[in-house]
Amino acid sequence: MIPLRKPADYAPILMPLIVVAIWALAAASTSSPLFPGPAKVAQAIWHNFSTIMVQLGATLTRVVIGFAVAAAITVPLGIMLGRLRIIGQLFEPVMDMLATLPPPAIVPLVMLFAGTGDAAKITMIAFAAAIPLLMNTYEASKTQNEMANLVARSLRLSRFETMLRVDLPAALPMIATGVRMAVAAALLVSVTSEILLATDGIGVFLQRQQENFQIAGGLAGIFFISLTGLVVNTLILAFEKRWLFWHYRAQEDAK
Amino acid sequence: MTRALLWSRGAVSLIFVLALWQAVALSGAVPAKFFPGIPAIIDGARQMIATGELPRNEILTLGRALTGLVLASVAGIALALLSDASPFFDRGFRTISSLLQPVPPAAVVPMAIFALGLGIKLYIFIILLVSIWGPYLNGAAALRAVPREQILTGRMLGLSPAAIMFRIKLPAAMPQIFAGIRYAAAVSLIAVVVAEMLAGRDGIGFLLVRKSFSIRIPETYALMFVTMFNGVLLALLVNLARRVLTGWHVRQTGASK
Repeated sequence: MIPLRKPADYAPILMPLIVVAIWALAAASTSSPLFPGPAKVAQAIWHNFSTIMVQLGATLTRVVIGFAVAAAITVPLGIMLGRLRIIGQLFEPVMDMLATLPPPAIVPLVMLFAGTGDAAKITMIAFAAAIPLLMNTYEASKTQNEMANLVARSLRLSRFETMLRVDLPAALPMIATGVRMAVAAALLVSVTSEILLATDGIGVFLQRQQENFQIAGGLAGIFFISLTGLVVNTLILAFEKRWLFWHYRAQEDAK
Repeated sequence: MTRALLWSRGAVSLIFVLALWQAVALSGAVPAKFFPGIPAIIDGARQMIATGELPRNEILTLGRALTGLVLASVAGIALALLSDASPFFDRGFRTISSLLQPVPPAAVVPMAIFALGLGIKLYIFIILLVSIWGPYLNGAAALRAVPREQILTGRMLGLSPAAIMFRIKLPAAMPQIFAGIRYAAAVSLIAVVVAEMLAGRDGIGFLLVRKSFSIRIPETYALMFVTMFNGVLLALLVNLARRVLTGWHVRQTGASK
């Protein structure tokens, strides 16, 4: 039997189409070059595709490097701080304060030390990504499972082994949340730093489009940034489903 | 008693952070030029207060963040109610939100300036774009999770669907909506600062960029502390609003402990 289709089943496609239609009508009725319709933006996407890809590539390369640096430092650090209670508690207020700092505010600060080059931008991105990663890893490893701890001790695991084989896997679900926040912060700081300290990247592309009154081109750039974010988020979620199934299964059982 | 303890713990933490900062500055591990001590930073802040630029821009930034946050909360709740009332809207809006959500506010600023100018409209648009999701997503989830018994009770009492929505479901969802608003408060501050940095006319974000580009290092650090302080202040305000609007929940969960 074919299940009966409800009107809501078509909504995921229908409603965006309605929005685009309203946008097209509004743009057609104002017919101002400062308010391009969807057709103009599609044209701009076609036109600027290779430029956008190159610039987005430059942006994403920095984001990936910065993120990798941040993860390599903060995940071990977070687990250690969670393990060594006293040091962790001492540094908790430092982390709390850093967490309230808006990530883009790092840009002018790092610029003072490191200038405006690639290394400086990667530092800014790494810093922005580090804070949510550190917070989440630390929180997760602080609230570890007593039982898992006792098992580790009865297996005579060394301190380092316990951190690697008990704490790290146990912290992964929360780290995954941190990763999603860190990716958003990294992308934001990357674009901000490019607009302020122009050399290359999608931020520079957006800035050029603005300077040349190419609104449609700018919207095309934004579209690709949003698409990138969507793909990254979907990948992280897929990863969580694939590798952290034990966590979600345990949650289901607990219900 | 516990509140006093919490406050004193906060004070101790703050003192520790300041002491640590001063120790690093005095140790000379980082050149003093790049890492000024606390007295130099306070001096920088005092100068900016004396010229009036710090209070003036601080009021602008806080005003923008608050206005945007309130509007984003109201709009987010309205969309959540709409999502709950209409499955069509709920499913359709999910596609739209998953496309809009990952857009970093910085990317939108250059284009939005064209359409909206450099006034309050620009900031409200940017804040709405990034901080509506906390209240909306939490609200939609919480409205869906209202126990069926409560709705049925309302129906038995002869309440209209609208009354059930506003007098049973919405109050039940309020605590979770406030969790979303707390997150939105942090995001709205980020959005304001980044928009001010890029729009380049006024506000703390603009001041931050200008001081740093003219290598006024103590002032830059002072402004960084101001943005942190704003984050704490906004979180406190949200907490206060939560207590006023959902006091019953705070009392209930407080009593159960």
